[in-house]
Amino acid sequence: MSIKEEKKVEEEVFDNTLGTEFVEAPKYSCALAGAYATTLGIYGLVPLLHAGLGCGLGQLFGQLYAGGQNAGGPVGGTSTPTTGLVEEHVIFGGEDKLRRLIESSAELMEGDAFAVISGCIPSLIGDDVEAVIRDFEGKVPLININAPGFSGSSYEGYELFFEAVIDQILEPLPKEKGLVNVFGIVPYQHIFWKGEVDAVKKLLDSIGLKANVIFTEFNGFEKLKEIPKAEYNIILSSWNGHRIAKKLEKKFDTPFITFPSVPVGPKQTNNFLRTVGEKLDVPTEVVEKFIDNEERKAYRFFEYAGDAIILVRPHSYFAVVADTNAVINITQFLANEVGYLPDIIQITDNPPEEYRDAIIKEITDKLETPVKPDIFFENDSHLAREKLRDRPFQFLFSSSLEAPTAMSELGALHITVGFPSYNRVILGDSYTGYAGGLRLMEDFISTYAGPL
Amino acid sequence: MSEEYDPDYKIDLEKATCPNREQRAKGTNVYYGKATELIKDARAGNLKCKDRNFQQTSGCVLNFYLTVRVATIRDAAIIFHGPVGCSSSSLGYRELFRGIPTELGRPEHYELNWITTNLQQKDVVYGASEKLKRAVLEAQKRYDPKAIFILTTCTSGVIGEDIEGAVAEIQPEVKATIVPIHCEGVRSRLVQTGYDAFWHGVLKYLVKKPEKEQKDLVNVASMLSYTWQDRLEIKRLLNKVGLRVNFVPEFATVEQFEQLGEAAVTAPLCPTYTDYISRGLEQEYGVPFFLYPPPTGIRNTDEWLRKIGKYTDKEEEIEALIEEEHKVWSPKLEAIKDEFKKLKGDGEIEVLGALGQGRLLSQLPYFDELGLKSSAALTQDFDNLILEDLERLVNDIGDVDVLVNTFQAAEQAHVTRTRDPDITLTCPFQGGAYKREKNVTRIHSLRADPDPWSAQSGYAGAVAFGNFLLQSLDSTSFQKNLKRKTSDSYKEWWYEQPNPLHYLKEETFK
Repeated sequence: MSIKEEKKVEEEVFDNTLGTEFVEAPKYSCALAGAYATTLGIYGLVPLLHAGLGCGLGQLFGQLYAGGQNAGGPVGGTSTPTTGLVEEHVIFGGEDKLRRLIESSAELMEGDAFAVISGCIPSLIGDDVEAVIRDFEGKVPLININAPGFSGSSYEGYELFFEAVIDQILEPLPKEKGLVNVFGIVPYQHIFWKGEVDAVKKLLDSIGLKANVIFTEFNGFEKLKEIPKAEYNIILSSWNGHRIAKKLEKKFDTPFITFPSVPVGPKQTNNFLRTVGEKLDVPTEVVEKFIDNEERKAYRFFEYAGDAIILVRPHSYFAVVADTNAVINITQFLANEVGYLPDIIQITDNPPEEYRDAIIKEITDKLETPVKPDIFFENDSHLAREKLRDRPFQFLFSSSLEAPTAMSELGALHITVGFPSYNRVILGDSYTGYAGGLRLMEDFISTYAGPL
Repeated sequence: MSEEYDPDYKIDLEKATCPNREQRAKGTNVYYGKATELIKDARAGNLKCKDRNFQQTSGCVLNFYLTVRVATIRDAAIIFHGPVGCSSSSLGYRELFRGIPTELGRPEHYELNWITTNLQQKDVVYGASEKLKRAVLEAQKRYDPKAIFILTTCTSGVIGEDIEGAVAEIQPEVKATIVPIHCEGVRSRLVQTGYDAFWHGVLKYLVKKPEKEQKDLVNVASMLSYTWQDRLEIKRLLNKVGLRVNFVPEFATVEQFEQLGEAAVTAPLCPTYTDYISRGLEQEYGVPFFLYPPPTGIRNTDEWLRKIGKYTDKEEEIEALIEEEHKVWSPKLEAIKDEFKKLKGDGEIEVLGALGQGRLLSQLPYFDELGLKSSAALTQDFDNLILEDLERLVNDIGDVDVLVNTFQAAEQAHVTRTRDPDITLTCPFQGGAYKREKNVTRIHSLRADPDPWSAQSGYAGAVAFGNFLLQSLDSTSFQKNLKRKTSDSYKEWWYEQPNPLHYLKEETFK
């Protein structure tokens, strides 16, 4: 968008994902970063950054390394093509450079399609990216994603990516019974994204459904194009992916089911499978048989943690400072399956106003303890830290930012569960499903385990 | 006309910022050829920045160095005046130096803070000076810092924010010294401009007029690729002769910047990183400096110490120190050299390093000292600040091929594949160039690494790095598996054609 289009700007100022004022170390990056991370999650796509020289390198540090200390893979990090805009482009425009980059990238790089992600500079100087992309029609498969950093956070970039795909790539297809798409997991930003999509896919497969999770599938571009075939869209977030689901419903008549977050542990997973099973006409006995088997096994394994929990840290207070997804599933798991007590919850991903009441309700209404946590929406890492002082919690589930001083400053054992996660490498791990609940137990019990 | 660097060049602190490296030192972002040719071309004024038809992300003035390290300055607050994504790479700020045990000299208590002005659509339309001023006031209130750095971005630059005006207006209202750094990414193709822009702000606003001379104080500008152990080694050596070290800027206090003008000498680790602050301190406060050699390898550590000795009147003590240190370390280095010899028989072990301009000068003589051969080297960019030093290097160790390529991963992969050295020393900015059949290791540790194993500076570092390189020759499984089992980023034709600079827009240099 050029500076001249002021009217349009004024309308869009409201309800963005950035908040309104300056902020210390917000736990996300910008829209360009989110669109970039999303592209990298889809194997076969090559991101082309129509942006400054350092936008990609900045996101290597600030989105990819920060997202579970992950490298960018074959087309991420410094492998990512960019127009690398400098002063002369600000004066003369960056369109010619973009044209040459598309040509050379298509020639040199292995890719099924190329995602042109435009950052702040092309927006500010008014590049006509659409016109450049039109010239390649029929020659190079391109997706045009306008994601200036000042338009929103990483989460916004995720929505912008899929909105562009829906508008530019997807065509109506006959529906396939039992096929569902999964949305609401933002690559790198949700640090367990790889393990989460994998676990959700396996869970749905176990009750006879087929899930298109898009990310980490080797034929990612095909998977994108298959989105309209789904019978249902499943949204695993209280706010991420909602715009995508609504758009898909409008364009392809695909209904959607929303869950507050990715399910963690038996209770949430049972609910997830039962709800999905009902909507998609999976025979009850199939669902129940699977649940019965998995649940029994999971709780049998819970028993192994019994002594460490009961003898060392029973009914402990905990704090969670993380994105909405992690806050909901971790709080519910700890409160409802481990008997831990939620002391303070801080939600760091700045969900738009319209979703906030539902998020608070989701956290408080389902707690199986009379303890009611203080809940804040806080994207400022300094203020979040201040709010943690002088409280009873013994465990802090948060980003790695708080890790070094959690014990000395707050007297809390720390577990990294959210972005940024520099101190925890996540290659395929997650807390999703029955096994995921056990994994979460391993993680927090290991912070205090020792000889009994 | 000679294009050598003008020794009489004056830093103009009246100006808001430094000139770009392109202007100040005729820097270039591309070259492939013999070092001797590079020197000739530089002298003839043939070097200039060029455009590539295929380009990969490689860092900008702000987002290569400044974002990842400036926020570790203690008792300061950093304000990034831009959209939220420009500073996400600063998210490691609290963790960076925390991994260093307090026993190794890390202070237990310190506060680090940075904020972003979080520029949004309405800000880019209506301007954000007021927001910046509010951020400064808030930073003062929240953190009570001694200095507030303001780092600019492409967006603040393109929308024409008047930073100097805002600073002049708000400074009387805050106790902290405001230090504006003009580091918008669009201003230059050379990331090293970012170093100069930072030092310009430091010189202009932070360094105090000397109250006293500190004849035992040595300034050392230490950047991200020199580890905590490197600092300890430098400290150990200089302490032995009664000297103290003032390490700036990473993890330094504001006071350490303030007293830069009182030191006896400014000594280099990375010459081109240190260049601007060294010249500025001499010009403004008469602090002498030298830029070559850095203390890498035994030979160059000797020289480095001797130069410091000269400026601190410690020449005799330094000679005694060198002698004493040699007794300990020289046999160890000899042993490493013997190991390398044994490994390759009569041949030589060929090393290809992905270096910065500074490491071009520091590592190549060190590899030579170890008996390793570097017939080529990759470097990020090149400018005539190091012309004479490069010439001296070529005289000492012979000619080498130099690929100047601002971390272009495809070009690096091409050169690595076609030259096929025994060891390639990579850094994270090389994409998939590490996937190969032969040996791979890293050129340097990237953060505040407290492990003696990662040291490279001084005598202990020379031996540690030598052992590290030896160790790398025993390891191929990771890179080999990934080469065989994962896809390459580029199509095969890329490696089959001969020119790594295939996509250079204009005709390449001869």
